[in-house]
Amino acid sequence: MRAPADSSQTCVNPKARAALIAASVLVALGLGVFTASQVYAPRTRPQPESGVVLNQPRPLADFALVDHEGQPYTNAQLQGHWTLLFAGFTHCPDVCPTTLSLMKQLDARLRQRQAPLDYLFLSVDPERDTPQQLKKYVTYFSPAIRGVTGTREQLDALCANLGIAYLKVPGASDGEYTVDHSTALVLLDPRGRVAGYFQPPHKLDTLASDLAGIVTSGT
Amino acid sequence: MKTIFLFAAMLASAAAHACPGLAVEDGWIREAPPGAMMTAGYARLVNTGTKPLTIDGARARGFEGVELHHTVVEDGLSRMREGRLEIAAGGSAALAPGGWHLMLFGAERAPAAGETVRVTLSCGKHEREFLFTVRTDR
Repeated sequence: MRAPADSSQTCVNPKARAALIAASVLVALGLGVFTASQVYAPRTRPQPESGVVLNQPRPLADFALVDHEGQPYTNAQLQGHWTLLFAGFTHCPDVCPTTLSLMKQLDARLRQRQAPLDYLFLSVDPERDTPQQLKKYVTYFSPAIRGVTGTREQLDALCANLGIAYLKVPGASDGEYTVDHSTALVLLDPRGRVAGYFQPPHKLDTLASDLAGIVTSGT
Repeated sequence: MKTIFLFAAMLASAAAHACPGLAVEDGWIREAPPGAMMTAGYARLVNTGTKPLTIDGARARGFEGVELHHTVVEDGLSRMREGRLEIAAGGSAALAPGGWHLMLFGAERAPAAGETVRVTLSCGKHEREFLFTVRTDR
């Protein structure tokens, strides 16, 4: 009966063996680090100057709204083009008109740069903002802007999904109220996913070139 | 009609002595989009006087009411706060989109771009009238 072969016979020599082990450990470590880098830090996208672009765009759950023509507006309407969304309400004298004016100016700039976007004004005040009211309001700023709204339940779910918030605040007199709302512009990609956020104060030039960069590069 | 003009003239002359040192530069009101129940007024307020001024109210011809508001952003939420605006002697304050502004509501007839609106600002017991131009945007 043969004695089990000792290592010195099967392996080249202890030195080489040690080197092999060290090499395997290094390879394993390297693989581990590589895998971890893929899992925990997906490739970081270049960040725009005026906002934040998500490394991994976030899909939106199914939603059903109505647009300012009274037509259904769902996830399907977000497919195939980039969209810039702003949530507000028409009884808003300062921030909303300022932002819709900005959208109008952005639209002109981005058309020149062959980087068209769709513009959405999401009313979080469906009690007062009927589709008819929304149509008069948004088209006054630009025919490129579409007004959409929905039931309270739909709006709550969609806003949570978009990562934006709003809050109905009672006013001084009975029945009067105002709405506190997120001021961010939300960028949605051509698959209808949340791709990024842009916070005020907005600078038209910077925002236009950031958006043109994103839209034309297709990221 | 004559009495109205007379009254307006008296008011204007009385106002000339009020809110000492207060001047308004580039006062404008955003033309209200159709269906909008309210709009905002902006300006640069200058205190050319030697004492601090506190703007604590406003009204405007043709509007039911005017409130002095401050848009603040807290936790990413835009909120409107009613407030009083202090202007140091020799200082100035901006009423500008996204910040302090006049909120005008209850228009008898929404004024169109190019028209002027008489806006009265009050500072304590005094008040003073200024002309604001209606326009679409800056």
